[in-house]
Amino acid sequence: MPAWSRHRGYPFGPIRWKYSITDETLERIVRALFTSLGVVALIAMFAYPSIRTDGSAAPAATDGTSGATARPSEAPLSVVDKGAFATVGTRSFSELTRQGARISLESLARAPQTQMDGIPREFYFARLAYNGFGGFYGRGGSWATDYPKADQIFLSFIDRLLPNLDAYEREFVMQVNNPDVRRFPLLYALEVGRMSLTPPEIVGLRDYLLAGGFLIIDDFWGTREWQQFEYQMRQVLPDHQIVDLDIDHPIFTTFYEIDEIIQVPNVGQGVRGGRTYERDGIIPQVKGIHDENGRLMVIINWNTDLGDAWEWADDPYYPLKYSTYAYEMGVNFIVYAMSH
Amino acid sequence: MDTIFEFLFKYRPILFQEGDFTFASTWPSLLVLGAVAAVTIPTLFTYGQARGDSRKGDRTVMAVIRLGLVAVLVFILFQPTLVLTSVVPQRNFVGILIDDSQSMRIPDEGGVSRADFIRTTFGAEGSELLTALSDKFALRFFRFSRDASRLNDMSELSYSGTATNLGNAMVRAQEELAGVPISGLVVVSDGADNSGEVLAESLLPLQAGGVPVYTIGLGEEELARDVQVSRVEMPRTVLVGTSLVVDVIVSHQGYSGRTVQLLVEDTGALLASEDVTFEGDGEPVVTRVRIHAEDAGPRVLRFRVAPQEGERVTENNVRDVLVDVVNDAEKILYFEGEPRWEVKFIRRAVSDDENLQVVVLQRTAESKFLRLDVDDADELAAGFPKTREELFRYRALILGSVEASFFTHDQLDMIADFVSQRGGGLLVLGGRNAFTQGGYQGTRLAEALPVFLDDELSTSAEPYYGELFVAPTRTGLTHPATQLGEDNSDAVEARWASLPPLTTLNPITRLKPGATGLLTGGPEQERDRQIVLAYHRYGRGKVIALPVQDSWIWQMHADISLEDQTHEVFWRQLLRWLTDGVPSQVAAQADRELVEPGQPVNLIVDVGDSAYVEVNDGNVVAMIRTPSGDTMTVPLDWDVEQDGHYEAGFPTTGPGLYEVSVNALRGADTIGAALTYVNVAPSDEEYFNASMRGATLRRVADQTGGIFYTPETVANLPEDISLTGAGVTLTEERDLWDMPILLILVLGLMAAEWGYRRKRGLI
Repeated sequence: MPAWSRHRGYPFGPIRWKYSITDETLERIVRALFTSLGVVALIAMFAYPSIRTDGSAAPAATDGTSGATARPSEAPLSVVDKGAFATVGTRSFSELTRQGARISLESLARAPQTQMDGIPREFYFARLAYNGFGGFYGRGGSWATDYPKADQIFLSFIDRLLPNLDAYEREFVMQVNNPDVRRFPLLYALEVGRMSLTPPEIVGLRDYLLAGGFLIIDDFWGTREWQQFEYQMRQVLPDHQIVDLDIDHPIFTTFYEIDEIIQVPNVGQGVRGGRTYERDGIIPQVKGIHDENGRLMVIINWNTDLGDAWEWADDPYYPLKYSTYAYEMGVNFIVYAMSH
Repeated sequence: MDTIFEFLFKYRPILFQEGDFTFASTWPSLLVLGAVAAVTIPTLFTYGQARGDSRKGDRTVMAVIRLGLVAVLVFILFQPTLVLTSVVPQRNFVGILIDDSQSMRIPDEGGVSRADFIRTTFGAEGSELLTALSDKFALRFFRFSRDASRLNDMSELSYSGTATNLGNAMVRAQEELAGVPISGLVVVSDGADNSGEVLAESLLPLQAGGVPVYTIGLGEEELARDVQVSRVEMPRTVLVGTSLVVDVIVSHQGYSGRTVQLLVEDTGALLASEDVTFEGDGEPVVTRVRIHAEDAGPRVLRFRVAPQEGERVTENNVRDVLVDVVNDAEKILYFEGEPRWEVKFIRRAVSDDENLQVVVLQRTAESKFLRLDVDDADELAAGFPKTREELFRYRALILGSVEASFFTHDQLDMIADFVSQRGGGLLVLGGRNAFTQGGYQGTRLAEALPVFLDDELSTSAEPYYGELFVAPTRTGLTHPATQLGEDNSDAVEARWASLPPLTTLNPITRLKPGATGLLTGGPEQERDRQIVLAYHRYGRGKVIALPVQDSWIWQMHADISLEDQTHEVFWRQLLRWLTDGVPSQVAAQADRELVEPGQPVNLIVDVGDSAYVEVNDGNVVAMIRTPSGDTMTVPLDWDVEQDGHYEAGFPTTGPGLYEVSVNALRGADTIGAALTYVNVAPSDEEYFNASMRGATLRRVADQTGGIFYTPETVANLPEDISLTGAGVTLTEERDLWDMPILLILVLGLMAAEWGYRRKRGLI
């Protein structure tokens, strides 16, 4: 019996499907459950008056814009609605970092409140919130996959691995069509197979990268997602090629010596063992996009899920091998981005 | 005045100054007294007795007038005489020194050149002055410009000397005339000494020998209308691709309010131009010209102002300056104590600059270092240099956010010595572990910084954070490091004003005495609140403080377009300036910038070992390639008085660039090599500051007991020398009784009495 039929379990597989649930089915059920929960949450969010931080009820937004016109700087920003990002202009750094946090707060109803006071930091692990199609767990967009736990756990490890780095300890979200993104020269984006950038985002990302920004791409699998991502990047950087990064590229030795690219499975597969790939993304690859001067602008981790390894590094069932590798890669990315 | 005096007193004042007054009469004193009494008593008696209509007052007045008249007559009868010491005719020598330099060709008022005066006065047979002089003295002529020599015939004067050395000429003439009685020296010159020697020293032997110097000043003390490129302040060596700001001092006479164009040319190609507006008469204008050093190699840059109408001297409108544009890679060590965006963006800014090699040593974690752009696997393998040899290989050091306690005491000393002894450049960046926040107070590094670390905010326990809108200071407007590629001060100011703010964690507000602030920053309306860029010299090198933490904002900020080069230009110029003038182990240069064909050049070489300790036992040899392609080898000798200092002279022949490559060895080991150039060219130096230096010539005359003349007053020279000069003298008596003033007095007193009587009706 060919291997694929066992996984599909249909139509000629063993009849055991009545007694055990396959991975695929389990995933479908979980996804359906969370999608419906997400729908309920969205309905709840829009159907009820929003609550102000001082506890008083805000006037009901009958036309959907009155909240935005009343206090522009606190306009609710939706990452789901295309083109609905407010252009916040250029503000002072401390104001900006607070605003950045509020963007994540207000755009993600369930995100923890991260009010940043005090002195701005040198390094922010900024997650790129981009427009895309197909929600994941009902949280507005594929960009928010593993958010915010992956970011939080990652930063707590970074604090120990790079003690000299003055890093902000909490998750942080930026949109690339927001001029303020330029304050954060490193961005992390994942699940980019569902990325569908708006024209302002395309321009914003292009300018960001050409000005000197660095983008880490992670957690997308297989040919179809690759094609979508490649199509998006061709619009962002039409004159730049995506190339394979050899293992002797300095990014693999900047801090840790990495001598092999391994496939990091998602948490489910990692905990259970067995296959590590998703869809047809069997071979993990690290690719890059360079500028005219040969400087690496984008590092692409395809057919691998570093984010899950970061997120579940504290899970005793998640294999150490994967999280070690993922953290080594993550540290190297940061050190490389901050010096090259 | 002198003429009136001479009319009244018969002789010129100088005779009264020089001579002694005496009475020649040999009558005994008693007889004299008797005679005076015989005249005075009857006079007083007769005036006292007379009555008529006169009152007592009238009689007193008339008696006094009459007595005055008697007194004058008595004075005359006693034969007043002036006793003078004058030189014996034809027994004494006078040396006449004639300026033979180019400046004598300059036409002065009326189109008559200074040389014309010499031709008519000393050249023409039978000139009154020459005749009068040769009647009294034996004359010896000398010509002088850079050197002095005997002159046998006036036709030998060519007025082509390219320098004037007044002191040397007088000393030489005195030496030539040693052994014969000298009455004095006559210097005929415009006094425009440009030898650079101290004139007072040359006057000492003349003062000691009692030889008066008579100076004849030719030319106008102020040229009526003239423009002059007085000075060009420019480094001798620059890195290719560097933007320079060159100070050019342009002076003028008679062109107030006019705007002229200062042009800078490199072998005919225009490099830059700058408008210069003249203000009050004679006020020099300091103009700053921005030049970009494009092509490597020695370049002779010409700074020029077009001749203006009515200008008689146009040779001084041009100045040539040699600059060696080198194509080296300046090696800079950037030590950063933590992962920081500044590292990425500074490297990015200078990555295209082939002349800057920024070696990065970054502490990424405890005892873990990232090395970037090192030459080989061994470089900095053990982290921050621990020996002077290792650190002094770099020409500049950038310190990022790294706490003082990271370094050993010796390493901190070594960093300070890197600047003070090695002459390297040190740039200290801001950050959470820099300056006060890095615990540098009280260290030797704090001593080396151009700023104080004890600001109130800085030393408080609360961490500081400030946003800085940056603005240039007055100096910063024209400093090469802060030009941002703009070509005038207004544009520079506007460019800085347009930049987004940076942030700082180091509130630095006070400059040390002698330090210069270039950039300040603060809230938008108060941009001078704290220091953003400042420097000072510390020993042989310079230290620059840049207490901000994110200059990369000027690259990344959304308001900065992708094409904008502000960040790149700022860092390139800053690092070029940081390494500018940093000495190498072997440094060679000629003792002066301008050498004329045929003149010898003195070559000076300083040699130090790898720790920049002076080397005295080196074997230093210079290989000189002349413009015609010939080579010569010149060994240099250690100057015993100064450690590490070697000197040797070599001759020049034709004009052109002489390439001097110096090689220093110690035993069989090479210490280092250096390359320099000498520009040998005919000089127009004589045309600069070419007005007559009356003050210099007066001083020479005053200090030696001579007299200063102009062509108008020079007729008195022969007699003055004979009266005031040294040499073999005799005594001469001159009668004073026939001075016209005495006759006028007699007649005047008589007329006064008669007039008084008429008025009072006593006749």
